[in-house]
Amino acid sequence: MSELLIRGARKAYGATLALRRGDLHLLPGEVHVLIGSNGSGKSTLCKIVAGSVKPDAGEVLLDGKPVTIAGPQAARELGIGIFYQELSLAARRTVAENICMPALPVKGGVFVDRAALEAKAARIIEAFADVAGEGFSADAPVNTLRADQRQLVEIMKALATEASILIFDEPTSALDRAQVDRFFEILRQLKAEGRAIVFISHRMDEIFAIGDRVTVIRDGETVGTSKISETDQASVIRQMVGERDDLATPAVAPPAHQAQRSAVLSVSGLSGPGFRNVSFEVAKGEILGFGGLHGQGQSAVMRSIFGADAHHTGTIALNGKQIAMKSPREAIAHGCAYVSGDRSRDGILQGRPIFENVTPIHFLRNQLALARPASLRERAMRPLQALKTKFQGLEQPINSLSGGNQQKVVIARWLIDRPDVLLLDDPTKGIDLAAKTDLFALIRKLAENGMGIVLYSSEDAELLNNADRILVFNSGSVTRELTGADRTRYNLYHAAYEAA
Amino acid sequence: MSTETAVSVTAAPSKAIEFLKRPLVVALILIVALLALGEALSPGFASAEQILRLLVVASVMGIVAAGQNLVIIGGREGIDLSVGGIVSLAAILAGNVMNGAESGILPAVLVAVSVGALFGLFNGLGITLLRIPPLVMTLGMLGVLQGLLVVIRNGIPSGRAAPALSQFVTQPLLFGLPGIIWLWIAIGLFMAFLLKRTVFGYRIYAIGSNEQAAFMAGVPVKTIRVGLFVLSGVFAALAGVCLLGYSGSSFSNVGEQYMLPSIIAVVLGGTPLAGGKGGYTGTMAGAVLLVILQSILTTVHIDESGRQMVFGATLLVLMLFYGRGRAMRG
Ligand SMILES: Nc1ncnc2c1ncn2[C@@H]1O[C@H](COP(=O)(O)OP(=O)(O)O)[C@@H](O)[C@H]1O
Ligand SMILES: [Mg+2]
Repeated sequence: MSELLIRGARKAYGATLALRRGDLHLLPGEVHVLIGSNGSGKSTLCKIVAGSVKPDAGEVLLDGKPVTIAGPQAARELGIGIFYQELSLAARRTVAENICMPALPVKGGVFVDRAALEAKAARIIEAFADVAGEGFSADAPVNTLRADQRQLVEIMKALATEASILIFDEPTSALDRAQVDRFFEILRQLKAEGRAIVFISHRMDEIFAIGDRVTVIRDGETVGTSKISETDQASVIRQMVGERDDLATPAVAPPAHQAQRSAVLSVSGLSGPGFRNVSFEVAKGEILGFGGLHGQGQSAVMRSIFGADAHHTGTIALNGKQIAMKSPREAIAHGCAYVSGDRSRDGILQGRPIFENVTPIHFLRNQLALARPASLRERAMRPLQALKTKFQGLEQPINSLSGGNQQKVVIARWLIDRPDVLLLDDPTKGIDLAAKTDLFALIRKLAENGMGIVLYSSEDAELLNNADRILVFNSGSVTRELTGADRTRYNLYHAAYEAA
Repeated sequence: MSTETAVSVTAAPSKAIEFLKRPLVVALILIVALLALGEALSPGFASAEQILRLLVVASVMGIVAAGQNLVIIGGREGIDLSVGGIVSLAAILAGNVMNGAESGILPAVLVAVSVGALFGLFNGLGITLLRIPPLVMTLGMLGVLQGLLVVIRNGIPSGRAAPALSQFVTQPLLFGLPGIIWLWIAIGLFMAFLLKRTVFGYRIYAIGSNEQAAFMAGVPVKTIRVGLFVLSGVFAALAGVCLLGYSGSSFSNVGEQYMLPSIIAVVLGGTPLAGGKGGYTGTMAGAVLLVILQSILTTVHIDESGRQMVFGATLLVLMLFYGRGRAMRG
């Protein structure tokens, strides 16, 4: 069984340094926990080991010998298997096919051996049979499964590689208690077989239940490794956030007179799929942050307010007027805007000119029937310029822009006619540093001009730097509100991680 | 992300080559080439009156293709296979309503267009509310229409076109061009206006390009899609009335031969089957091109079944030419 050593791994995406100096020493027969706040570079480090990201620098030693992991295939051949945080499943393929994808059983050199495939998949599925829940079967297409079931498939897919080094990048974020317990039983078994396991999770109870050693990573740098038995929760969090003294001061001063401003959005008792009894108010000119671990209901609440997802109960009022919010159309008409982090799914009209990508909200809010491109050009240019979007002309197809500029176009579409409420659902995902800076500068200006803004970010630093007040989400409920001087890294992490 | 597009925009190697690659330009070049070929095969093929006759036939095909074009731009595997049935039904209904009388023309057009719209509405509702794939829904509708045509033909005599209608289609009206060509030009202008100058047009491209994003931007996705199928039914019905004028009386299944060509004309004109792109000008050129091809095939004595085979093969070659990726995904 193998021992893996990574030293000084570094990876930059444009101006964003995703990983500054990643070190990890992985021993056979251990569950090695990797912990760090959102955006600290954990996934990047994992992907480097799995061969799906090429590091800019650093070395990898396998059993003491230097190796280069040229790609995912090379990693598999070296005995490395991975669970990807964002999953790597083929949506229309069945559970069994997905599980066996990395190592398809082959017959006669070319043909997929279906019998062997099904037997292998059945063996792996069997282990989870009683916790997988309704609708889960070997021949179910993955796109018919729930989020937790998909995550189980990705786990099974990693297990099917039978690799001696297994990396699990947040495999439990959507699982329920029984599923996690089953997964841990299997991990213990693998450990007993002498395999080396990397396990990423934000849940302290899980980490202390399964881990042998823990490596903390902060702002792209490995801070240190300790034995689980020799550390505790508080010191792990302290390592994650750095020295406590640095963190005592809030990132931004809360704007003055906030209490006097009237609420532009009030939500009360909102419940729906993925969130329970959420209530809050956003004042004019306020940037309200949604914090917490990824997928704790932040996104679901925003989409529900915007009318994008099915039913909710509870009330939503804009400017004091209660509104049903049955569809985005209704929300938009009442002055609500929503920017999704998943721009290729929810945002851009692929292949269409920038002009057509910035105008749909203007048409809707003004109930226009005619497009009149000539007279609209100038109004379309204004928000694009305010966001410092780089483009040659409005006729240019949106696909020809960089990711950050595409997102700026999508945001600009909401600003031709100012909305009252702007919901930002992880708006900076995958965009570069310069674009982020421009974006947050503009958001602050919009707030100063009276807009109410809700910001969810999967990067904690972004939230702390930009939100006036933060609601921490946990399992679909708001568990803590951080205001004024309480908005510190330490408090945010504590609220997000501890209760989970 | 589509890096291909990025490359073609930022690093256009030569304006001239880009220009020559445009589907409309390709179609126009092919039109000239085929005319020359026809003239070589049979002198007189490219004479003025012969070209005019070809344009009349192309008008009917082009009017059917207008609806097809909208449905295809709307995406989600949009296609309307029922157009042939609607053309036939509209021709029969119009023929019976007017039955040779000038005064019956307007009622006949109204009846035909309403029935076309109604079948388009059924298509649209089945596709949006019952979530039946367009291919299946409109193919099913074609079956229904064919059954209906058999029943109707057994029950009522085939109608006759009013002389004025026949004249409109076949005789010069203005500047030597028959009325139907003027009608086609008007439809071309209407389509350009619809697609480039109305919010409805923008929304067609939006739902064709990314339905989810369009929904999130407040576009009434279902309403628009239903509207596209209604328009397709209306255009097919109009073409049916014109066809009645062309042949004088309505006979069995006149419309059937329009289904495949209406799709090919759209693809030839540069609208990918994946939707979200394209326009009608190219489709008009595509229709003309197809009619010339059809005529050449007739000149060299290839019968209807052979022509259909050539059309089918043309579509397959086109898909190959555009590449499955390009044609299906934009
Ligand atoms: N493909 C990418 N393009 C641009 N930036 C990226 C990309 N992947 C990750 N990043 C950035 O790198 C940083 C580290 O990301 P990641 O490794 O996913 O963190 P973690 O898994 O710890 O949450 C983040 O700031 C993230 O925005
Ligand atoms: Mg991660």
